[in-house]
Amino acid sequence: MALMGVVSVFAQDGGELRFCLRSEPKTFNPLLVEDEASETIRYLTGGVLVRVNRVTLKAEPELAASWKVFEGGKRIRFKLREGLKYSDGTPFSAADVAYTMEQLMDPALHSSTGDAFRSAEGKLVAQVISLSVVEISFPAPVANLVNLFDTVAILSAKSPQKEMAVLGPFYMAERKAGSYLLLKRNPNYWKKDAAGKQLPYLDSVRIDIEQNPEIEALRFQRGEVHLINTVSPAIFEKLSADNASVRDAGASTDTEQLWFNQVPGSPLPAYKKAWFTSTNFRRAVSEAINRGDLARIVYRGHAVPAIGIISPSNKFWFNSGLKPHPYDTASALRRLQQDGFRLQGDTLRDRAGNAVEFSIVTNAGNRTRESMATMIQQDLRKIGIKVNVVTLDFNSLLERMTQSYNYEACLLGFQNAELDPNSQMAVWLSSADNHQWNPKQTSPATAWEGEIDKLMRAQAASGDEHKRKQYWDRVQQIAWEQEPFIYLINKDALVAIAPAVKNAAPSVFRPQTYWNVETLALTQAH
Amino acid sequence: MKTMRIVAITVLCLTALTILGASYLAPAGYEQQFRETPQAGPSAHHPLGTDDLGRDRWARLLYGMRVSLTLAPLAALFTTVLAGLVGGIAGYYGGWTERCCKLLIDLFLSVPWLFLLITVRAVLPLNVSPEASVTVTFALLGLLGWAASARVICTGAKDLMKSEFVWQARAQGFSGFKLVRLHLLPNLRGALLAQFWISIPVFIIAEANLGALGLGVAEPLPSLGSLLRELQDVVTLRPEPWRLLPLAVLIVVISSFQALLNKQEVRA
Amino acid sequence: MELLSVRITISYKDKPPVLDDLRVDLQPGEILGLVGHSGCGKSSLALAILGLLNLKGGKALGSIRWNERELLTLKEKEWRKLRGKEIAFVPQSPMSSLNPALRLGTQLEEAWKLHGQGGRDQMEETVFRSLLDVSLPAKEEFLRRYPAEISVGQAQRVLIAMAILHRPALLIADEPTSALDAVTQSEILALFGELNRRLGMSLLFISHDLVSAYTLCHRIALIHSGKIVECNTPQAIFFSPQHPFTRKLIAAIPTVPSASEVEESLRFNLFNS
Ligand SMILES: Nc1ncnc2c1ncn2[C@@H]1O[C@H](COP(=O)(O)OP(=O)(O)O)[C@@H](O)[C@H]1O
Ligand SMILES: [Mg+2]
Repeated sequence: MALMGVVSVFAQDGGELRFCLRSEPKTFNPLLVEDEASETIRYLTGGVLVRVNRVTLKAEPELAASWKVFEGGKRIRFKLREGLKYSDGTPFSAADVAYTMEQLMDPALHSSTGDAFRSAEGKLVAQVISLSVVEISFPAPVANLVNLFDTVAILSAKSPQKEMAVLGPFYMAERKAGSYLLLKRNPNYWKKDAAGKQLPYLDSVRIDIEQNPEIEALRFQRGEVHLINTVSPAIFEKLSADNASVRDAGASTDTEQLWFNQVPGSPLPAYKKAWFTSTNFRRAVSEAINRGDLARIVYRGHAVPAIGIISPSNKFWFNSGLKPHPYDTASALRRLQQDGFRLQGDTLRDRAGNAVEFSIVTNAGNRTRESMATMIQQDLRKIGIKVNVVTLDFNSLLERMTQSYNYEACLLGFQNAELDPNSQMAVWLSSADNHQWNPKQTSPATAWEGEIDKLMRAQAASGDEHKRKQYWDRVQQIAWEQEPFIYLINKDALVAIAPAVKNAAPSVFRPQTYWNVETLALTQAH
Repeated sequence: MKTMRIVAITVLCLTALTILGASYLAPAGYEQQFRETPQAGPSAHHPLGTDDLGRDRWARLLYGMRVSLTLAPLAALFTTVLAGLVGGIAGYYGGWTERCCKLLIDLFLSVPWLFLLITVRAVLPLNVSPEASVTVTFALLGLLGWAASARVICTGAKDLMKSEFVWQARAQGFSGFKLVRLHLLPNLRGALLAQFWISIPVFIIAEANLGALGLGVAEPLPSLGSLLRELQDVVTLRPEPWRLLPLAVLIVVISSFQALLNKQEVRA
Repeated sequence: MELLSVRITISYKDKPPVLDDLRVDLQPGEILGLVGHSGCGKSSLALAILGLLNLKGGKALGSIRWNERELLTLKEKEWRKLRGKEIAFVPQSPMSSLNPALRLGTQLEEAWKLHGQGGRDQMEETVFRSLLDVSLPAKEEFLRRYPAEISVGQAQRVLIAMAILHRPALLIADEPTSALDAVTQSEILALFGELNRRLGMSLLFISHDLVSAYTLCHRIALIHSGKIVECNTPQAIFFSPQHPFTRKLIAAIPTVPSASEVEESLRFNLFNS
């Protein structure tokens, strides 16, 4: 807070901040947000009880002046700030919080924001204790409970404007479908800077819909937009050549990975299923991939070879006992020999003489993934494996991944929005829908998946961070040894911030450049 | 006029030679990644520099030309023959046959191809070689591209059937195939040629765009279309003129085709 | 014995008949003029004799006897052997009746190949002979031209050459001179007369112009209201017309005014001024 006071002296008031979104927000109802564009609008307009500082990663009080968690995350009590008003003038009180939580958890709404709070069957109870105190109880403890409130924009129970009445720094003023959105400064916003000046400094935020990242970059160069949250490595290089306005904010928690289809009921031939379910085969493929080259060439150095589920930049949760996966074709061939594979000429054959050939599918239109697949293709050629690279439109890809299971290997990335790995449970539980390599298992297909299931449940039920860390260390260890996901790289968060923008403190977490939008300011020149 | 034709023939011969001799002219395989020198500028080793993955651009251009400039004209020929057949038959017989053909044409023009192409990709096995994939794609383009021009041909053929010289030909005893070959086709030549040479660049570009559906050429094989797609960022940000060569090649080759094939039209 | 004997009713779709039980005969070697208004059905008759009427959506009832054969019941395959070989056709507008995309030589050669017997030499000989018959230059250079590169008169001669390639017994000329200027017109008429004399082929000369029919024909038939109203020698038609329609046609023929008539009208004009 003190820091903010200092910088605000240099900042000029007013002005319009401009940036681009890839697509139109699908909804303006903050409870129904699923896509990134809608999330941006929620972030800029919605008032939340607690905000996770994207640099310190600590929960900070917003609408709630303070809170207290009871029974290991089963119950939470918020003490609210008093005298706050929505953008339309409607007063804010504890009843609004209770109303929002009840709406959010209404099963009929199918809110994925709400899903995060659903720890067990049963109803939530939101009890208004006084005008400024509200208590929310869940049927079972919720892991990482306080931070989850970062995504819950508090609706007004009474405002005639419904969800368009907001408590955040901006409100939706104007929009033209497919073209732009204009957010204006919320005159009733409660926050003040250290000097007592009302925030936000900006008058408005203009968001243009621009699908093409190249054009976005061009507009950034021309000074028409001020911020880019995710810059591709190629554009990063080009932009950094002419000014210093791009920044590498460091390794993000996002991963790119390759996995083999291990679904027993998939339409693949039996011998291919046997390859893909063999740990030796997966590890051999992993060892034959030159991850260093992927990071250096495809990401132009703005990525690091991945070690596992959790990025080393996530210092607390990362299992520091794990080493990088070696790049060692000789060792890869030895592993394959253990499984009866042999190199005949320049073709690898399995015990039955089948030439080893498989396809890697990835989503069409993503140059970096296509490039990675092409490099892997050449890497695996060296151990006699023939790879076909197939790009598919995203829907076809999803259909193959989640319904027909008609694919051999898939290369995709996962975005991990939070440091706490609890959200990854949806991937690692063998019964989960998102257990990509073999989803929705009735009982664990392998011993190691059974062990991960146990560890997952244990960590979810525990309120003790250090115990949870131990469970997670073991999960990372198992994943490193079994490689159901062959983690390739952790990419850096690359952002672009125009020199005119003051007080920017880019983070590797979304929304990278404007997470502190209420304190951003523009110099007069712009 | 004559010099134009000579230039055009020379260009096409050179192109044919480059395509045939790609393996001798290329300094390296089109798939070989020189990982120590990605994105290099032109040099003695790599006349056009290297691409994002360190592959020789000159080699990729040569092989891309081989792929696109053999398959696209074939597909264009196929689609032109189809358009000529359907449009010609409709215009020649008229009446009931014409209505059937027109219905077929309308059906073809209204089918949601995107959906159909996705289905085609779905039934195609994932493990097809890049060569097979690109051949299938051009075959599909050839198979699907005829409808709009068939309609033009049909109208043309119908007008011709009513023209006096066709009546005169009938009175001389011409009918059926001979009538079509001598009196319809030579007079539809212009329309058919236009269809042919327009189809070539359209198919070359379309092949690249079908990459978004998992059709078209697959890595690491290049096609002119996929090389053109890589140019997207040149336009906005990169001052690297040598990368525009695939575009120049496409324009020069298509113009040469056009200059050669359209000689008959100059007379009228 | 007649070469051609027609008893025919022609109608289009559901409309009333254009020709209603029209009867006309043609002797071998005869030039018969068929004269009538535009739209009275002359071309329809020509098409019926060529077996092409159904392609225009017309229907012919009755009989067309050709050399003792009934044509109306003929199969299309038989028709094709007849057209251009035994019965040939010369059209009205020569320029648009030649295929613009083919050289004259090609068109003549292909027309020969349809019915001709023998090899290339035979073909070249026939083509050149036909060209000479119609007083066109029998030269390679001429044959290499496209229709756009010759005059209307030449085009009509090419069409006639094409028509007589196979020495047909009957030539149907449908208003062959109406697109031509007066001088070319008389040249073509003279050519028809000469061909008839030299080659002995019959000619069905269709025209709306009584004067050209008068100079060329052995007999003239006048069509009116779907029937032949009068059929006689040109002299009889001109000097003792029987039917009111014939008289009307003759009265409508413009005459070259005599010098005294011109003088008369001038004087008349002077008085009035
Ligand atoms: N295809 C057709 N369909 C309907 N009516 C037609 C058609 N062709 C000609 N007719 C009609 O038949 C009549 C005779 O036409 P046509 O034989 O061309 O006359 P002519 O040659 O004597 O000028 C005309 O009145 C014309 O309207
Ligand atoms: Mg007529």
